[in-house]
Amino acid sequence: MNWNALLPEMVLSFGILLIFALELLLKERYYKSLTVIGFITVVLSAFSIFFVNYPASTLFNGFTVTGFNLIAKFFLLAVTGMVLISSYDFFIKKRSVYSELSYLYLIALLGFMVMLSSENLAIIFVGLELASITMYILVGLFRREYFSKEGAFKYLVIGTTGTSMFALGAGLVYGATGSPLLGFQSATDPIFALGVLFIMSSLALKVSAVPFHFWTPDAYEGAPTPTTSFLATVPKIAMYFLFVKLTVYMFSALPQWQFLIGTISVASMFYGNLMAYAQRSVKRLLAYSSIAHAGYFTLALTAVDKLLMTSLLFYVFVYAIATFGAFTVLSVLEKKEGWSHHFLDFKGVAKEHPLLASFLALFLFALIGIPPMAVFVGKLGIFMGLVKSQMFLLAILFVLASIISAGYYLKVIVYMFLHEKERDWGATSISAGESFALVVSGAAVMFFGIFPNTVLNLLLRLV
Amino acid sequence: MEHVLSLVIFLPLITAAVVAVVRNEVFAKFASVAVSGIVFLLSLVLFLSFDFSREGFQFVTKLSWIPSLGISYHLGLDGMAVSLLVMTTLLFLAAFIWSWKIEDRPVLYTALFLLLETACLGVFSALDFFLFYIFWEGMLIPMYFIIGFWGHDRKVYAANKFFIYTFFGSLFLLLGLASVIVYGYFATGQITFDYIEHAKMGYPLWIQLAAFLLFGIGFAVKIPMFPVHTWLPDAHVEAPTAGSVILAGVLLKMGTFGFVRYSLPLFPDASKYYIPLIFTLSVIAIIYAAMMAIAQTHIKRLIAYSSISHMGIVTLGTFALDKDALNGAVYMMIAHGLSSGALFFAAGFIYDRIHSYNMDDLGGLARYLPNFAVLFMISGLAGIGLPGLAGFIAEFLVLLGTFKAHPVWAVIAGTGMILGAAYFLYMYKRVMLEEETITDHRREKWSQLRDVEAHHFIPFALILFVAFVMGLYPAPFVRIVDHTVKLVFGG
Repeated sequence: MNWNALLPEMVLSFGILLIFALELLLKERYYKSLTVIGFITVVLSAFSIFFVNYPASTLFNGFTVTGFNLIAKFFLLAVTGMVLISSYDFFIKKRSVYSELSYLYLIALLGFMVMLSSENLAIIFVGLELASITMYILVGLFRREYFSKEGAFKYLVIGTTGTSMFALGAGLVYGATGSPLLGFQSATDPIFALGVLFIMSSLALKVSAVPFHFWTPDAYEGAPTPTTSFLATVPKIAMYFLFVKLTVYMFSALPQWQFLIGTISVASMFYGNLMAYAQRSVKRLLAYSSIAHAGYFTLALTAVDKLLMTSLLFYVFVYAIATFGAFTVLSVLEKKEGWSHHFLDFKGVAKEHPLLASFLALFLFALIGIPPMAVFVGKLGIFMGLVKSQMFLLAILFVLASIISAGYYLKVIVYMFLHEKERDWGATSISAGESFALVVSGAAVMFFGIFPNTVLNLLLRLV
Repeated sequence: MEHVLSLVIFLPLITAAVVAVVRNEVFAKFASVAVSGIVFLLSLVLFLSFDFSREGFQFVTKLSWIPSLGISYHLGLDGMAVSLLVMTTLLFLAAFIWSWKIEDRPVLYTALFLLLETACLGVFSALDFFLFYIFWEGMLIPMYFIIGFWGHDRKVYAANKFFIYTFFGSLFLLLGLASVIVYGYFATGQITFDYIEHAKMGYPLWIQLAAFLLFGIGFAVKIPMFPVHTWLPDAHVEAPTAGSVILAGVLLKMGTFGFVRYSLPLFPDASKYYIPLIFTLSVIAIIYAAMMAIAQTHIKRLIAYSSISHMGIVTLGTFALDKDALNGAVYMMIAHGLSSGALFFAAGFIYDRIHSYNMDDLGGLARYLPNFAVLFMISGLAGIGLPGLAGFIAEFLVLLGTFKAHPVWAVIAGTGMILGAAYFLYMYKRVMLEEETITDHRREKWSQLRDVEAHHFIPFALILFVAFVMGLYPAPFVRIVDHTVKLVFGG
């Protein structure tokens, strides 16, 4: 038994159990300390990654460690850590503390880590299901609020459809290839094709690509904002790492693959970007923006190309940071009484909170894809990769969609900076955790934009 | 000396960060003037130590940056770039001195302008497509906020229009950059963003034709050329004075600079192929914008249209594919940067004193603001190309060069200059003279006005001094520009 390979997961599980036990004894009053323990667990787990020897395999080859998995885990841990540390004050101010929160995020994270560590479809399913169930609970956490319940219910129904599709697809692939392990292909077998179709649909559902996007706006809007920031980032990183893996091992064997995924991505880009214009709530707007981004990301899966894959993974990481930052600003603002994320609420925010508004503007500019912010490098990489693989039409549609997207992000910035304040909201406080998360993510967005090589080289080496 | 160039570019950026952290108004103003002064002096040092007898780029810095995409940190200057660099630092220095008495959020104001300065200087110095594009886009955000925050009544509309137009244009530019890089990849098997590598590559005609258009749209929006010019009058009218000065003086030059630096050397055949198109648009811009200028009653809008008209002369000279014309076009960039800067300062001064840009509210100011009247007159004459000032040499060279190969176009363009004299003199008459039509009430109000103060006078003096030097003794400047001409036409 190779325990070393399981080190990050073990640290994390130990932390989860510890918090679980402490939570029973300590109750709500110590919620903040529990969150901090959770944060420390995440940091320790991230730190332990450096002590893992790779490549390695354990649990009867059900659990493998490669550089690719490790970097994915590191990304996941980094973002989850920031989500945790920035979340506590929101729930305290909203007077709806459920101290289960402090470990629920971690359990979802554990699920994703398990999911990414396996080459076995069954175990991937276990990890996916662990993460998904936890996230249904997370979304529905504001049990006194109608929207939270509605969002959670929608997410539950559609999400379980997704996971069951995954199970069905995995079963079909197993039937066609005779092995639950990845890497076996039988491209001409219609059963295999059907299995791949199911698995792809379930992944598309999890990353909220059109036509499986219905749950996204409601779940995003209904969930408590810190949870939304989790929902919009961590699962995305995990899912794209899985998507890349499956594309290389399995999907790309399908002759119609390029057409399939190309259609999905083009539909997502345009649907997401156009619908975003119709939104009145900034939170929903960001949900549609994530649908659009699902389109950009899946574009990179149209061909098995090293540049495309690395750019995708880089892009998804920096996208996660920028999105996390944007949602954190929203959650800070939401602490004000009566704040609803309606556009009108944002009028003149810059006058009152110049720093918060500047951070949100930074993240939104980053999401538009303006250099020198990091997302630009991701977009450039995907564009170059598409052109390299001679998919000119997709490349041009990608650019067009990016142009369209600029308008609605700008709208938020315009409301914040260029409109006069209409209503006195009173002050909001920024907790230490939130300011830490904001500064770190803001600096990261700039840093990875100016020195993208730090991450890109790592990815190039390990992918 | 290589490091001086990097220092010139990034010193304003660092200062912006310091200003944003310190958040003290007095410190911000001092720091901005001091740093822009230092940057101006450093750029003068670069200018004076530039070796014009040596061909190729100088002060070259090249560091590896993102090797997996073939991107490097590559800076360097040629004759045109070094002249534009000095003009840019001069205008920023003038703008900071002018803004000495600004009261509305001065810290943010100076920080944004310093960011803008870094972006502008970077555009002229970058020799890597990626770096160039970062700087090119980098000026978008500060300018957007400068217009949006400190502008006049319709500032939001103007800022958004500015942003959408230029963002639209720069995405085409990005597509163009990508298309040549992709061609380079297929031709050599290597992704490279390096300008020098690409200049040696020699693209086939179909790539040139496509890429020229893509680059061209990006540059044309910025210049702005005729059909995509409508953002400019709005942006100018709504922008604060210093913003207008930088917009007209520096930002518009980025587009024409792009044509000379990128379009001509990279796509020589396409440049020939598109001559009729470019000439038509340029001449329309020259004549139409000048006529539009005559029809305006808003002084800033008038100067904005005159800028479009002058930029038409630059594009005309650029694509006449003649050494003299190109020389004149580059000369015109600098001359126009100076004269339009001075004119926008003049408009800003009028607004400071009388709080109106509308000619109907003005008139007969010369008697009450005598010093200003002189400065305004000289600025305007520099703009319309009076002999003895920089604009004349430029227009003369452009027309001379164009006439050699395309006499008809040159003649049509020449009429634009007559219109230029018409609109300026018309404006000057309505604003400064026409004393007999103003009411007693105004006469009384006007007599209370203070004439130019030090922080108004210094920017004017700096700019007009250079304009005179360049007009009276053009030989050294022509030689400087010749350096670029050699680079473009190869010896």
